[in-house]
Amino acid sequence: MKGRDSISEGGLSELRREFRGERGDLIPVLQRVQEIQGYLRPEAIRIVSRWLKISENEIFGVATFYAQFRFHPPGLHHLRVCLGTACHVRGGEQILLTAQQRLGVDTGETTPDGKYDLDRVACLGCCALAPVVAFDQKVHSQMSVLKIQRILDEHKSA
Amino acid sequence: MARKEPRKLAMEINHRPVTFPEGVTVHRAAELNGIDIPSLCSHKDLSPFGGCRLCMVEIEGMRGYPLSCSTTAQDGMKVLTDTATLGDLRKEILKLILSEHPSSCLVCDERVECKEYQGTIRKAGVTTGCRFCPNDGQCELQDLVEKIGVTEIDYPIDYHGYDPEHDDPFYDRDYNVCILCGRCVRMCQEVRGTSVLAFTYRGPKAKISPAFGRSHAEAGCEFCGACVDVCPTGALADKASKWEGKPDGSLISTCPFCPIGCQIELYHKNGRFTGARANLDPEVNDGQLCVKGRFCLPEVTHHFERAKRPLLRKGQYFRVVSWEEALERVAGELKGIAPEDFVMLVSPDLSNESLFAAQKFARECIGSSNIESTARMELGGGLGLWSSLFSLPISIKDIARADVILAVGLDSRFNFSVVGTKVRKALDAGAKLVTIDPCDSNLAGYTDDWLSPTPGKEGALLKLFADRLAGQKADTSAAAAEAGVDSDMLERALAIISSGHEPTVIIGPRVFHYSDGTALADALMTLAGAKKVNIIPLYFGANARGALEMGVFSEVGPGGVSRNGKGFGWTELLSGSRRPKVIYCVGDVAFQERPDCDFLIVQDTYLPSFKVDVFLPASSFVEAGGTLINMEGRVQQVVRVENPPEGVVFGFMRPDWRIFTDIAKALGSQALSYQSAADVFKEIRGAVPGFPAEVDRTPRRMKPIDRPLIVAARGDKAADGDFWLVAEPGGYRHRGIDIASKVGGLCELALEEGFRMHPEDVESLGLADGDSIRVTWDDSQAGAAATVKADPECSRGAVYFTRRVILGGIKQGRELGPLLGLRQNPARVRIARAEG
Ligand code: SF4
Ligand code: SF4
Ligand code: SF4
Ligand code: SF4
Ligand code: FES
Ligand code: FES
Repeated sequence: MKGRDSISEGGLSELRREFRGERGDLIPVLQRVQEIQGYLRPEAIRIVSRWLKISENEIFGVATFYAQFRFHPPGLHHLRVCLGTACHVRGGEQILLTAQQRLGVDTGETTPDGKYDLDRVACLGCCALAPVVAFDQKVHSQMSVLKIQRILDEHKSA
Repeated sequence: MARKEPRKLAMEINHRPVTFPEGVTVHRAAELNGIDIPSLCSHKDLSPFGGCRLCMVEIEGMRGYPLSCSTTAQDGMKVLTDTATLGDLRKEILKLILSEHPSSCLVCDERVECKEYQGTIRKAGVTTGCRFCPNDGQCELQDLVEKIGVTEIDYPIDYHGYDPEHDDPFYDRDYNVCILCGRCVRMCQEVRGTSVLAFTYRGPKAKISPAFGRSHAEAGCEFCGACVDVCPTGALADKASKWEGKPDGSLISTCPFCPIGCQIELYHKNGRFTGARANLDPEVNDGQLCVKGRFCLPEVTHHFERAKRPLLRKGQYFRVVSWEEALERVAGELKGIAPEDFVMLVSPDLSNESLFAAQKFARECIGSSNIESTARMELGGGLGLWSSLFSLPISIKDIARADVILAVGLDSRFNFSVVGTKVRKALDAGAKLVTIDPCDSNLAGYTDDWLSPTPGKEGALLKLFADRLAGQKADTSAAAAEAGVDSDMLERALAIISSGHEPTVIIGPRVFHYSDGTALADALMTLAGAKKVNIIPLYFGANARGALEMGVFSEVGPGGVSRNGKGFGWTELLSGSRRPKVIYCVGDVAFQERPDCDFLIVQDTYLPSFKVDVFLPASSFVEAGGTLINMEGRVQQVVRVENPPEGVVFGFMRPDWRIFTDIAKALGSQALSYQSAADVFKEIRGAVPGFPAEVDRTPRRMKPIDRPLIVAARGDKAADGDFWLVAEPGGYRHRGIDIASKVGGLCELALEEGFRMHPEDVESLGLADGDSIRVTWDDSQAGAAATVKADPECSRGAVYFTRRVILGGIKQGRELGPLLGLRQNPARVRIARAEG
C-alpha cells in the first residue's frame, strides 16, 4: 500500500507490527483501534479500510453489528443499563428509555458536553437485584423510572 | 488460465430427470431447467445468502428442508420443490416477512378495486400501500405473495417508519419496504467492488446503509443502478421513471455514450422510451453499466430543451420553418460553393450510417475534402497511433481472465465502470493489480501497488513495464527518480506484472491527452509487440473508431485509406487563421462562441448557445437507430424505440443520413439516394474492408492507416510556476452537448466544474474549499479564474480541471475558456486567490 492514508497516524503504527493486514484481522484490529483511541472515528475507519482493503461502509456494517464498538468519544461518566434477561423482564427497557430521555442521547452516544455516555449491557451479574444499572463503578439495583431520574439529576447538580 | 468446461451431471427434480453443470446450487440447477423455486434473496451472479428461506426444498436422504440456494447440486440427487408441506412452510415465512413489510394492500380484499377506482378509503399511505409503491405490478415480492397465496397476516405487525431517502441523485430509497434480502449489498460488494451498501446495526434496527449514515454520493457510489436492478421490492427506484408503471416491453440496444458499447435494454410504454437497464449479454458488459448508460438516456432524449423543428434566421428573426424551406435555403447557400469555402464538422457520437453519409456528402456533393471531427481531439496522440491500437485484438471480456493487470490513469467510478467490474472479477479470481496514477482512484482501494508519479510521467513509467514484458533491460532507478516514485516499490510492481502469463494493460483517457505522448506511444508499441498483452486504450466519443473507419477526416477516407486532402482542421478553425464561408456542424459543437463564417448550419438534437443561420433537428438514437463500432471493433446495433409521425406533437426530427440525402436532392445531386439506414449500411460494406454484411458483434481488427505514429507535441514555450496544471478530458459529451447540462443528477454531482486540488495544497495557499482561484502561466496576464474544490483524490502539487471538447449546454465552466487553447499539458502554473 502507498498513499496518503498511512497507518502511522493517531498512534496506530503499532497495529502494523501486531497484524498481518488481512481481511480476517478486521475485528481484532477494530478492537485495538478502540483501545488506543477510545472509540472508532471516521478517520481511523478510513485508514483501516485502505490497509485491509475493505470498504469503510462494510467496516461500519460489521462494527455496528457488535455492541462493543463505539462511534462516539466516551464521556466522563458512563451509564450502563442492563438489558439481560432478568432485567429485561423486570422493565430494564423502561429504564433505558428514561435514561435516553434524561440525557438526550441514544444508546451508544455521548452527551454533547462530553459528560455522560450511555450504553446497554447484557448482564451485570446481579440478576436477583434486577433491574440494574451501573453508573461509573457503582451498581444501582432495583431501579425504577423515578430512581434513575434521581440518580442522574443528583449527579448533574453535584 | 484455460477454463475447463464444467462436467454435466444429472439429478431428478419433481420426479423429472434433469442435467446441470457441476458446481451449481440446487436452485440454479432447477432454474436452468425451467423449474421455478420461490426465492427472494438468491441471484445468479451473487453468492448464496440464505436469508429469506423461501427456497427450501425436500431432498431424499437429507434431513429437514435444506435451502436450495445454498446447497450444491450433486449427481443423482432427488429433489422435491413443491410439496404441500413446503407450500405451508413458505406461506408462514412469507407472512413473517410481511409482518415487517407494509402490505395491507397486498392482502386487502379491496385491492383490485382500489387499483382501478381508488373507491375505498385507503388503508395505507404512500409508503405503506402496495398500490402506491413504484414497484407495483413489477414486483417479485408481490408475485410471490400471489403465487404462494397469502391472504392474511396473523403475526403482530411491526413496520419501521423510516423516512424515505431522496437526497441522492438518480434513485430513491424507501427502506420501509426493504425485506433485507441483501441482494443490493452483495451486488455492490461482489460484482461492483464498490461496497457502498452494508447491513448496519442488527435486530429490529437492521438497515441497509453506508457508513455513518453518509449519503451514497459521499460513500463512493458509482450510481450504476446495479442494486436497483436486483432489488426484489420497491425499496430502490429510479427517480426519472419511478411512477411510469409497468413498461409495455423492451428492446435490446447499445449504449451510445462511450466506446465500450454496453448492451442495454430500452423499456418503452405507449410508444415512448421510458428507461434503460443492463442486458445480461456476456460479451461486453455482462449485466453491468455505468451511470451514463443506466440513468442518463431518458433525460438526454426527452429533455424539454430538445430542439425539434427546423429553424431559419431571416434578418433579425429566427423562426420555425418547414423542412422544405430550410432545405431550400441550405441548398441555396451550398450551390456552386467553392470546395475550399466549405467545412463540415461531424461528431464521433453519430452512427456509422450518418458518418459515412456525411463524408460522402462533403466529398461527392460539395466536392470538398474539408471534413473534420472532434474524434481527432478525443483520440489524443493522433489517428496513426489509434489505427495501430485498433489493429490489436482488444478484449474487454478478457480483462476478467487476466492474471496481472496494470491500470494507468484509470478511475472507473463514473466512466468506463464496466472495465472496473472486469478488473474486480479478475482480482476475485486471484489476479494482481498495479496502478499508475498520480491521483487517488476507486481502484486504489484494492490495488497491490499504487505508483503515484508526477503528472505527465505515466507514459515513461509504462515504458518500463512494456520493456520488462518484452524482455528488454532498462534502468529502473533512474526512471523511478525521474518519475518521482519509490524505486523499491517500482521494482516490486515490475516483478508483479512480469510474473503474469495473461497480462492486461488498461490506459485511461487522461494519459492520452498529455501534450507529450512520445513515451506513451513508444510504450504501447512495445507492449503490442510483447507476449500476448491485452491492451485496453480508453477514450471518449462513442463512435470515434467508427469515425476513423468511415473516414471523416480530410486526410483519411473510408476504410482508413489515406487521402492527400489538406483541409481545414481544428487548428485553422480555432485559431481563425483561415475563414470558411459555410460551416456545417453535424452534432459537433466545439465552440463557445459562433465560429467566424458567413453561413452557419447546425444539425443537432439541441440548439447551440450562439447564433446560427439554419438549425436542422436531428433524431436522437432512440428515434433513429443505426450502428456503432465499439473500441474492440464490434459493429453493434442501436435500435429505434420511438417512431412517431413527423408533426407538431412529436417534432420534425430526421436521422442525420436522411438530412444529407434531402439536401443532396435539393442540390440536384445524385450522389446520395438513401431510402433507409440499411441502404447506407450496404454501401459501407462495399467501401470499408472488413465491415460485416449485417450487424455482427464479432470484434474486428483494423488495418493501420498510413500516417505517422505520433503527432509531435507542439508545445508553446514552457511556462513556469509551482504547480502542475493538468487537463483531463470531459466524460459526458454526446453530440453537441455535455449531458451533464441536461441530466439533473450529473449536474448535482458537478464532477467536472472548476479546479480541483488536494485539500492540503488548498490549505497551504491559505485558501478554502469553494474559494475562487486564478491560474496563470507566464508573465502576461493570461490566465483563468474559477472556484477550487478541495478533493482528497488529487495529487499534491497539482491543480486539475476538465478540458471539455464539446461545449454545448455548458453554463458553468465558461470561465475555463482561456485554458482551452493551452497546448502544454501538464503545464507549470502559478495559483493565487482571484481578485474580487
Ligand atoms: S415492494 Fe412490492 S409488495 Fe411491497 S409495496 Fe411495493 S409493490 Fe407491493
Ligand atoms: S448504484 Fe451501484 S455503486 Fe451505488 S450502491 Fe448501487 S450497486 Fe453500489
Ligand atoms: S433494498 Fe432491496 S435489494 Fe436491498 S436488501 Fe432491501 S429489498 Fe433487498
Ligand atoms: S460504460 Fe460506456 S457503453 Fe457502458 S453504460 Fe457506460 S457509457 Fe454506456
Ligand atoms: S440481567 Fe441484568 S444483571 Fe443479569
Ligand atoms: S433464496 Fe434461498 S434463502 Fe433466499
